[in-house]
Amino acid sequence: MDGVHPHDLGTVLDYEGVAVRTGHHCAQPVMERYGVPATARASLAFYNTTDEIDVLVKGLHKVREVLGA
Amino acid sequence: MSDLRDLYQEVILDHSKRPRNFRELPEANYRADGYNPLCGDRATVFVRLDGDRVADVAFKGSGCSISTASASMMTESVKGKSREEVERLFTRFHELVTGSPDKKDQAAVPELGKLAVFSGVCEFPVRVKCASLPWHTLKAALEGDAVPVSTELSESSSGDGGGKAR
Repeated sequence: MDGVHPHDLGTVLDYEGVAVRTGHHCAQPVMERYGVPATARASLAFYNTTDEIDVLVKGLHKVREVLGA
Repeated sequence: MSDLRDLYQEVILDHSKRPRNFRELPEANYRADGYNPLCGDRATVFVRLDGDRVADVAFKGSGCSISTASASMMTESVKGKSREEVERLFTRFHELVTGSPDKKDQAAVPELGKLAVFSGVCEFPVRVKCASLPWHTLKAALEGDAVPVSTELSESSSGDGGGKAR
């Protein structure tokens, strides 16, 4: 998401009840290799429902709203 | 749970988007690097001391909106101050963002001035390191510390990291 740092994105999503992982993901060498300081990762599994994906998307809109991005 | 707006106040968003004193300072006589390996935040703080006073201060690096705004507002608030005044401000700020229980009404401490907008940080424990990294880095710079500051591998017991990487 342009103009939003993964950590800020993570905080807002957390507030909306969605857990994502942010930062280095314990993978500094590969992050360094591609010149990416940090990322946010939503990990979906077979037990996630489409309703939960909707909550994630709603949360992403909230990120834009809060951070004015 | 407090409101997100307590954390992301307008002043903080403004400083994160347009950080002040965001540059290198070739004439700096003190500098230090700070790093938070968990989130990837990096900050280099440059200081030019004139006698005992901070004549100029600047920073470079990359980080989230909280760490960028904290660094930006830190440079504005310490310029022109003496070492001792900077030290005192560091302590006050640290108490504010860690929410020291015996320090109620921190926002009312006049010394903090605009820095009081960071009062919401203590409600978001994982973001305390974001706000305090620039300050720990400034402190290391003024102490002439050659070892980079890291929020992990902490030797200090300050509760928010800011130890030195070995």
